[in-house]
Amino acid sequence: MSKTFLALFAGVLFGLIIHLSIILLLPLFPSTNAWKIFAKIAPIGEVIILERPLPGEANILRLDPELAYAVCRYDLSNGPGLLSGQLTSDFWSVGVFDKNGVTIFSTTGSSSINNHLQVGIFNPAQTRLLAEQQLGMQEGLIIVEAPRNQVFVVVRYAPPYPQMWERYSKVLSKLNCSYLSDSSAPLEINE
Amino acid sequence: MKNFTPKFLIFLLSALIVGLGLTYYSLNDGRFIGAYQWGSWSAWLKAGSPKPDPYTKAFLALGHSVQLGRGEGIQFIAQRDENGDLLMRNCNYILKGDTPVAAFWTLRATSFEGNSVTPNNAKQNIHSSRLARNNDGTITIFIGPKNRTGNWLEIHGKDLFEIVLTFYDAPILAGFGGNIEQMPSIIKESC
Repeated sequence: MSKTFLALFAGVLFGLIIHLSIILLLPLFPSTNAWKIFAKIAPIGEVIILERPLPGEANILRLDPELAYAVCRYDLSNGPGLLSGQLTSDFWSVGVFDKNGVTIFSTTGSSSINNHLQVGIFNPAQTRLLAEQQLGMQEGLIIVEAPRNQVFVVVRYAPPYPQMWERYSKVLSKLNCSYLSDSSAPLEINE
Repeated sequence: MKNFTPKFLIFLLSALIVGLGLTYYSLNDGRFIGAYQWGSWSAWLKAGSPKPDPYTKAFLALGHSVQLGRGEGIQFIAQRDENGDLLMRNCNYILKGDTPVAAFWTLRATSFEGNSVTPNNAKQNIHSSRLARNNDGTITIFIGPKNRTGNWLEIHGKDLFEIVLTFYDAPILAGFGGNIEQMPSIIKESC
């Protein structure tokens, strides 16, 4: 009887080890994550509008059909990323994610100046140059430091009525997804 | 050897049940650990944080990657009614009570994979600003196949489903605008 209890106890302990191992190993072997999906549809440095999910159709990314979504991917080894554009006072938000879907930074339009979206994304080395004032930045730019080079940005935009979804998507498609070095807000190298 | 096999089976079975069962439940709707639970509702509070815990990282690795950042809002999911029964598409439910303060919120009914379970010609979600409220400001929403007057979200089918309630620009986590416990209850009306 005691040996049976011991086997049960050992099994529960081993089960906990299995559980913790799966939890810790899962992030190393992600199934279908957003980065993999976006890699197929969004070239680096281009804004793409995500299709509105329809009833009966797959919604892998679990998008809210009420909102319009724009996605932009960056490889920061090409230089600091810049996402900019003019939106309206309707709700909008921006989230910067790493390759594993971990949120690096997020904010909403309510904390912007005149609903102007202007986010600069830097890797640690580029942030160091900023701190040493070797890079000059345009005023009002939100500076985000990404721990790794591969990041994606998701902009959510809420039309007041569902019928206006197309129009709001068009506004999102005009966002500028580029690198600071090739934008009109140039990356200045201070000598 | 005679006593080894049954004890080994007990060990193996208990290890598998604990290991896989705990993993399934902790990553499904975050039961036990990982996600925040309040009544029928669960939310992965750290899914939008720059430093998620190991459970949240594992959750993200399962493909739930376009999360709302903490600065953007918060999403709650319910897979059970207030009695703990799983939500069925052929049943009618009443969602009743209050909601935390947010710029706006949307309510959807989806499969566990995130696909809408509303019929093609019906509205896909309920929006907080296009909603009839009770005199005291609380909400009553009917979810089910049975035609109702008032706020009705039509669903169809016979399988399980979940209710997704997303708050945008919600100061809940900052301690303003009500608290996280201010969630509506889900009552089964009929099947």
